[in-house]
Amino acid sequence: MINVAAPADARTGKRPPGIRPPATTRPGAPRPRARRLRPLWFCAPFLALFAAMYVAPIVYAAVSSLFTVHRSGLGLTAPSKVFDPLGNYARALHDGAFTGALGRVALFGVVQVPLMLCLALALALLIDAKSARGKGFFRLAGFLPYAIPGVSAALVWSFMYSSQSSPINRLLAPLGVSVPFFDGHLVLWSVANIVTWSWVGYNMIIIYSALQAIPAEVLEAARMDGASALRVAWSIKVPAIRGALVLTAVFSIIGSAQLFNEPTVLRPVSGGAISSSFTPLMSAQSAVAAGNYPYAAAQSVVLAVLVGVVSFVFLKLTGRGGKA
Amino acid sequence: MKRFIARFAGVAGALALSVAAAGCSGSPAGTASPSGKASITFWGWAPGYADAVKAFDKSHPDIHVTYQAVQPGAKGGYQKMLNAVQAGNAPCLAQLGYETLPSFAAQGALENVAKYASADEGDYQKAAWRSVTLGGNVYGAPVDTGPMALFYNKKVFDSLHLKAPTTWAEYRSDARRIHASDPHRYISSPYMDYDYAGLAWQAGAGWFTTKGDAWRVTMDSAANRKVADYWQGLADDGLISSAPMYDQAWYTGLGDGDIATVVGAVWQAGVIKGGAKSGAGQWAVAPLPQWKKGGTQVGNAGGSATAVLKGCADPKAAWTFAHWLSTDRTAFGGLVEKASLYPAATSLLDLKQLGPDPYFGGQNIYKVFAAAAPHVNADWTWGPLMTKTVADLDDGLGKAWSGKGTINAALRTAQDKTLAEMKKQGLRVAP
Repeated sequence: MINVAAPADARTGKRPPGIRPPATTRPGAPRPRARRLRPLWFCAPFLALFAAMYVAPIVYAAVSSLFTVHRSGLGLTAPSKVFDPLGNYARALHDGAFTGALGRVALFGVVQVPLMLCLALALALLIDAKSARGKGFFRLAGFLPYAIPGVSAALVWSFMYSSQSSPINRLLAPLGVSVPFFDGHLVLWSVANIVTWSWVGYNMIIIYSALQAIPAEVLEAARMDGASALRVAWSIKVPAIRGALVLTAVFSIIGSAQLFNEPTVLRPVSGGAISSSFTPLMSAQSAVAAGNYPYAAAQSVVLAVLVGVVSFVFLKLTGRGGKA
Repeated sequence: MKRFIARFAGVAGALALSVAAAGCSGSPAGTASPSGKASITFWGWAPGYADAVKAFDKSHPDIHVTYQAVQPGAKGGYQKMLNAVQAGNAPCLAQLGYETLPSFAAQGALENVAKYASADEGDYQKAAWRSVTLGGNVYGAPVDTGPMALFYNKKVFDSLHLKAPTTWAEYRSDARRIHASDPHRYISSPYMDYDYAGLAWQAGAGWFTTKGDAWRVTMDSAANRKVADYWQGLADDGLISSAPMYDQAWYTGLGDGDIATVVGAVWQAGVIKGGAKSGAGQWAVAPLPQWKKGGTQVGNAGGSATAVLKGCADPKAAWTFAHWLSTDRTAFGGLVEKASLYPAATSLLDLKQLGPDPYFGGQNIYKVFAAAAPHVNADWTWGPLMTKTVADLDDGLGKAWSGKGTINAALRTAQDKTLAEMKKQGLRVAP
């Protein structure tokens, strides 16, 4: 941002305090247009892919959500699509299965995201501690679950939860305890456990990298002032990596909203506790199964807008979140 | 900038599903090349199809078929096909389960090939031909059928001096005996979606009928309630295992005798053999237990067709291949060996591959299925939104089998949700 702003200010002759114009810019001499546009060419490959792979499908989904599917009689011919901009949206908001799914992932996010990030922060601080041993090992061990594809992880956990084979319950059996992982109330947290297991290491690495960027002299000064390791962690390190924490939180909020793999894999063994519209994406998928693409698109758009709003509010609440 | 990226990623990421739904890959439908040689693409997943296509290409210089393996239908293959049809680049031919065929037709995803196919109707079993026709349109060639029988662990039955049950009442008393002999032993696992449909099918408890140009949904009929009550009784008495079918726990149970029977179609032979190797020599097949003593009612589960997808440029060549695949003795022999497919063509019922099997103690299980096939109730119609219907049904069945609901409630809910979706889309529903 600074590079773009500086020449404009230089032209008016005013200098913002503390910002020197880059050496290559001569005051009063705007660069030729062609030269100014040149950097855009370097962005072209990205922009082209971005437009084709992100923008176009979003526009396509948004547009198709404005139509409703119409058939007639036995419906053995191709359905027609009728422009009805609010039809699918009105239906989505009155669809108990869809709104229930939204509520479910909201609850999931409110509980699971803070828990996971606290765990990730604690692990990152531990391996960042001066006295820590075997850093490399713990860094790798913490990160390893992330390397396992989500579906494979869910398959392994479905075995761990299964009433038939659960090694966890087998270990607990002598104590007379048996965890009903697929109980209607518990199943969401069984899913949360898998997600936490998979993603804690990933977030730990992001936070750990941010910790590495804290200037050594700041930490040195704190120590010279007699701050304990705990005090350094809480008063120096955590505030310094605020940006990384906000970033991981936003990613995790988005991830929660998109919950799909884990509940889908667990569904067949869940004894009905996980329905076909357990999460918003599963609900949209079930609309696709009914051959109703526009309704699925509308559900996706509603979810996207809600996630956008939640992320925006979160960033507002956490202040100038971009400053790492 | 980071803020922008994060916010944008939210919007973009959440739409990933739509991206998946909209994006598709595929090759263009059948085209006639300048040389006049027809070129057909075929999507399927059954083991053995690739070899059959190779043999066809060798023996038919005028048609070239390209086989592309896709995910099994319910695991993503059907979605890929529908997406390809939407995008206008679908293959000419696709492997399609009978239960899904009407749903494809209802999306306008199939091509009517009655013009080329009707002359060959006599080559197929009646019930199978009915499965590929809808309202006078023919959408493909039947490949295999799924007549049902009772797979049972003979070793377990023998050890308790039990014979294979011939009625459902006997089946229930055997279930009690088996569970009483060992609390880890159960007569069966829970039946879901199309496996459950087979049980209803046998009892003549249809789920859908058409009346003029309107649908009727009858999943909640008296006949269906009778079947549901029977299995509910077994579940309530704790006689059904909690191991889900096709789960590792199920295969383990089949292998070590903890799950004593599977009520299933002929292709379950391949599933059981492949998944429960330690049960070799212990399993046998008996005719399906009957609701009335001496009855001969048989249900069907599964079976598939080679369907012609919308937009096929050369439906005539497509039919030629599809019909050949279903009726060629050598090609189908390979399909029996590799996939336990039971032919829909009447002339193939004496294939030598349909013979004794050491896994089943040397029994020629196909004799049981051959006797059953002519008795498969031909009066069964699949609905227009089957994928959605069975997803809703499974939500309820899962609960019912684990004691948190009833099978009747599951059927009622699935019926209500199916009707609601049909009405929402404007399909005609008879009162």
